Amino acid sequence: MDALISPLVLYSACALGAVGVVLALPRRGASWRVPGTLLAAIAGGVVVLALGLVANESGQLPNIYFYVFAALALGAALRVITHHRPVYSALYFILTIIASAGLYVLLAAEFMAFALVIIYAGAILITYLFVIMLATQSPVEGDDEFQADYDAKAREPALATLAGFVLLAVLTTMVFGGLGSLRAPSGAQHARIERLALATMPQKIERVLRDTPRRDDSGEPMRDADGRAVMMVGPDERVVRLPAIEGRSMVNIAEGSVLVEMPDGGTRMTNPRDWPEELGVSNVEMVGRNLLADHPGTIEIAGVILLMAMLGATVLSRRQVEIDEEAKAHEARRLHGLDEEGVAS
Amino acid sequence: MLNGTTSILGTTLAGVAQHAPESSHGLVEAAGHGAQAVSVGAAWIGWIVLLPVIGCVMAGLAAALKINSKLPAWITVGCLGGAFAVTLTMFLGFDSIAGGDAFVVHIYDWINVSWIGAGGEPQALVANIGFYVDKLTILWMLFVTGLGTLIALYASEYMAHDVGAGYCRFFAAFNLFVVSMSCLVMADNLILLYLGWEGVGLCSYLLIGYFYKKPSAVAAAKKAFIVNRIGDLGLSLGIYLTFVHFGTVQYSELFASDALQGYLAAAGSGDFAAIPATAQWIALLMMVGAFGKSAQLPLYVWLPDAMEGPTPVSALIHAATMVTAGVFLIARVYPLFLASEYALPTVAWVGTLTALLAATIGMAQFDIKRIMAYSTVSQLGYMFAGLGMLTTTGAAFHVLTHAFFKALLFLCCGAVMHGFAGQLDLRKLSGVAWMKGWGIVGVAMLVGCMNLSGLPYITSGFYSKDMILAEAFVTPGYAAIGWILVFTAGLTAYYTFRVFFRVFVGPRYFEPGDEHHADEHSDLGEHGHTEGDGHAALAHGHDAHDHAHGGFHPHPPGWVINLVLAVLALCSIGAIGLAYIETDHHGWVGSMIGESSAAYHSPYAEAAHHAHVEGVEAHAVSGPAGSGTPSGLFGMDAHTAMIYISGGVAILGVLLAAFFHGPVGIQGLLLGGRREAATCRMDRVARLFGPIPRWAENKWYVDEFYHAVLVTPLRVIAHLCHLFDKFVIDGIVDGAGKLPRALASLVRPSQSGQLQGYAAGMVGGIAVLLFVAAIIVLIGGGS
Amino acid sequence: MTGVGPVILAQADYPEAMGTITLAHYLFVSGAMFALGLIGFLTRRNMIIMFLCTELMFQAAGLALIAFSRYHLDHTGQTFVIFVLTVAAAEAAMALALVILLFRKRESLSTEDWTEMSG
Repeated sequence: MDALISPLVLYSACALGAVGVVLALPRRGASWRVPGTLLAAIAGGVVVLALGLVANESGQLPNIYFYVFAALALGAALRVITHHRPVYSALYFILTIIASAGLYVLLAAEFMAFALVIIYAGAILITYLFVIMLATQSPVEGDDEFQADYDAKAREPALATLAGFVLLAVLTTMVFGGLGSLRAPSGAQHARIERLALATMPQKIERVLRDTPRRDDSGEPMRDADGRAVMMVGPDERVVRLPAIEGRSMVNIAEGSVLVEMPDGGTRMTNPRDWPEELGVSNVEMVGRNLLADHPGTIEIAGVILLMAMLGATVLSRRQVEIDEEAKAHEARRLHGLDEEGVAS
Repeated sequence: MLNGTTSILGTTLAGVAQHAPESSHGLVEAAGHGAQAVSVGAAWIGWIVLLPVIGCVMAGLAAALKINSKLPAWITVGCLGGAFAVTLTMFLGFDSIAGGDAFVVHIYDWINVSWIGAGGEPQALVANIGFYVDKLTILWMLFVTGLGTLIALYASEYMAHDVGAGYCRFFAAFNLFVVSMSCLVMADNLILLYLGWEGVGLCSYLLIGYFYKKPSAVAAAKKAFIVNRIGDLGLSLGIYLTFVHFGTVQYSELFASDALQGYLAAAGSGDFAAIPATAQWIALLMMVGAFGKSAQLPLYVWLPDAMEGPTPVSALIHAATMVTAGVFLIARVYPLFLASEYALPTVAWVGTLTALLAATIGMAQFDIKRIMAYSTVSQLGYMFAGLGMLTTTGAAFHVLTHAFFKALLFLCCGAVMHGFAGQLDLRKLSGVAWMKGWGIVGVAMLVGCMNLSGLPYITSGFYSKDMILAEAFVTPGYAAIGWILVFTAGLTAYYTFRVFFRVFVGPRYFEPGDEHHADEHSDLGEHGHTEGDGHAALAHGHDAHDHAHGGFHPHPPGWVINLVLAVLALCSIGAIGLAYIETDHHGWVGSMIGESSAAYHSPYAEAAHHAHVEGVEAHAVSGPAGSGTPSGLFGMDAHTAMIYISGGVAILGVLLAAFFHGPVGIQGLLLGGRREAATCRMDRVARLFGPIPRWAENKWYVDEFYHAVLVTPLRVIAHLCHLFDKFVIDGIVDGAGKLPRALASLVRPSQSGQLQGYAAGMVGGIAVLLFVAAIIVLIGGGS
Repeated sequence: MTGVGPVILAQADYPEAMGTITLAHYLFVSGAMFALGLIGFLTRRNMIIMFLCTELMFQAAGLALIAFSRYHLDHTGQTFVIFVLTVAAAEAAMALALVILLFRKRESLSTEDWTEMSG
């Protein structure tokens, strides 16, 4: 198992990052926030740089936006844990979420990217902000003396950072060391998976093929007698489906062609040359398929968890309202327009 | 085969007795009836024990049901009466059950263990719930159940002020006592006897401490229990030694065992060296148990204090029955005592000295119940002396008569105590017999006192005491005992009639005690007196006008108490007749004892008895038989001499009491000079003796002596043990507890309650796990 | 520089399989984010910030899941991020309700005010 980057670089970068984080954590008195943040950023940069050098050799350098989003995400994350005002922490967390969403997009998970922004930034963090505003008095701007002690001072920063970075060092060692043994699927395998997924979507295929013109040998679109473009699947034709397997109807997409049933009852194969390049499965479709076809029970469980969390939160945060009898009576009299002595006013 | 063996042994012993007359008490004649026990299926005898058990349970139930009436008393009287009836049936049908032999009734298996001993021979410990019935058993059971019934009847009225939970508790313990006593007497083995022995001790403790809110009663109960423990230790060791030596604790097997018969033969010939020391120790150890239970020197101190209990308890347990358990024990295992060289002489001397000591203390006491207690100790001393001098018949006869007259005396004292709100001081009571409603009590008291004093011919106490005294003079080496006992008899007559002359006759006067019963029992309607009666009695008293009693009126006993007193008085007098029937066997008691395990008689006594019965020619016979030893006194046979000697001494004691304590006039036999309750001639005489009367009143400081010599050192040792326990043992135990605590305090800070502390623990754990995994993977990957 | 190019969205098709070293980049970011979240959880005393830090750790886990999903071209990773989001949302709801409850009792958000479990 070969280390991806030199352990010396990795561990000294971890140590450097740890020192930076310790310095950046909130404390009373002299603030080391800026140099600490810089130090941590340098440490992160060193590791990324080292990784980038390795990647450059094998031509696996990630997209430039990765660096932008990674820097944003980690920097914002650092501010989340170092900022002494909870509201700012929460706002920085939103920034982390958005940067992460960018990374998701880079990872071809655009549905999850949007979901993340909507759910996290849009829902969860708003809840956090509400609670923060509920539970903390608004501080006077720039006056740290009024800061609550539990916000102003970190607790055992050195030890905790040590633990965190030891964990990070061990984790990255393991991960970098173990990457060599990973077996990613080849392009061909992937194409086959892709086609199999597409084969289970006969309606999508039919819909696309009805909009795709047939071409003749010269590559020109074929036209009928009325001069209209002839589609791969005509208005009266339909794609022949295989017998349903496990309740799913499928289409045989052999070598980029499907069997089409003509109005007269005869069949023909479409020309593979005419196959539209853009006909494939989208991320949303794949995720949805995976979610609903492969994990239906898990969805139910997740639903129950959410319901229970809702009920639990309602019960827990309900305020016990106690109105004593005298106050009730007083209120009743007031409502009936009587004064304290019971005489109608 | 058993019968054959014993009959041979019997003749052997008889022969031996002829040939070795000079042995001190080895001159025995084995009747050997105890060895012939046959097993019969007369399980109905079990009702004697079962009926009081039922009574006990029902009294307990009554307490649980909060019954607030005299129901428990009537249940008790019914159950005990039933038990008495069964006993009577057993007595009358004795000859038909097993042909007049002792018999064993097996109820059910209790302890039945067998194993292979160290030597390879099979051994067994068998102690079943079963009854060994011979005439000794019957004699004891007759007066235990009979007196139990009568005294329960008496108590039904006496305890009436306590109706409710206390009443139920009293009668439950009362029944339990009779159960235990029946177990003790009827047991067919020593372990069941021990069970009963402890049971009566327990009941004694419970009943002495009946007034458990009174510190003196609690102290007395504890004292009785603890002193009895000392004796019980001796008994339990004796039983253990019996099992070790003879391999059985069952009477039938024990008495029939070849070993014991061999020892008896050896003892008969005076050859005590032939008897193993173990066997001789058995009797000495059991003797200690008997001394404890029967309040003999040096363990007598608990009995006077036991008078803190209710008077019916004193009468039944501490006068008539339980305290005679020691006598019964010795009589029951008499063969074992005969086989011990020193046991019986020790018993005789201890009994004699106890009789004297208790009588001297009794003379100086002012509490009438305490005087009766000391007289009980003293009379028990007579019984032990009788046992020690081989006249089991005399001892048993005295037990019987004493049971009646002492119960009678106690019940009379109880009636006085009951009527005068707990007043027992003879200086504060006078002329009780002349007060209205107290006639029967007075007469009954007179009968009891005469019996205790042993006035000749007219009292049963005279005949039983006479039998023991005569024995002392006819048995060689015991003349000193005889004279001491005669002197004691005089003291007995004196202190007994001192009570009578002070309390029951003379000018009417009383000061009530401090136990006021608020309701005066007027609601019970059994006392047959009204307030007017009380006033009338007071109005005629000489000193009545001088004393305002805060509205107190003595209430004379009701018909129940009077009935019981009358029956007991008649029994006491009627017991005279027992001396005149079956004279061939020394009276009825002799005929009973003669057919039991206690059936051994000195040939001297035999001879003297025959002389007494048959006249001069018998006297001639007894001479050679005695072979030079004195068989009589002043040329008369012992019994005849005793009529004059002990009778004279008793009358002298009565006259002295009359002179010193009697009131003026005929009431004081024309000798007395007392005109008021508190002072008498004796006060002046007592001054002549200096501090001695005060010493006697303080019981010769025996309690203080015990306290200094036994209790204080034990207390010091106990304190030392306590300190050892507190600092050493507790230190070790606490240390064992503190060590984990100290170790835990090392890791306790990790449980700070801080949320992040736990999280940090998790992180650390994960980091370590990952680290280990990384090392393993790296090394594994490298290889 | 091949890395500098238009962002390829997977609307029509997956691009070429991702390289191992590219994956390492994402995993490092994920790990660093997790470490930061962890440090925040351990050092901050404010309960709200602590829960925010747990969200940060969730986020790191989600990033790793998505990266592996991309690498293996398997959508199950993305599916699981949905469940992570679900659990995070539920946890946030419960945790914040608890925080409010605790805040009402002690008027403080500090964890050091709640040490009843100390040994």
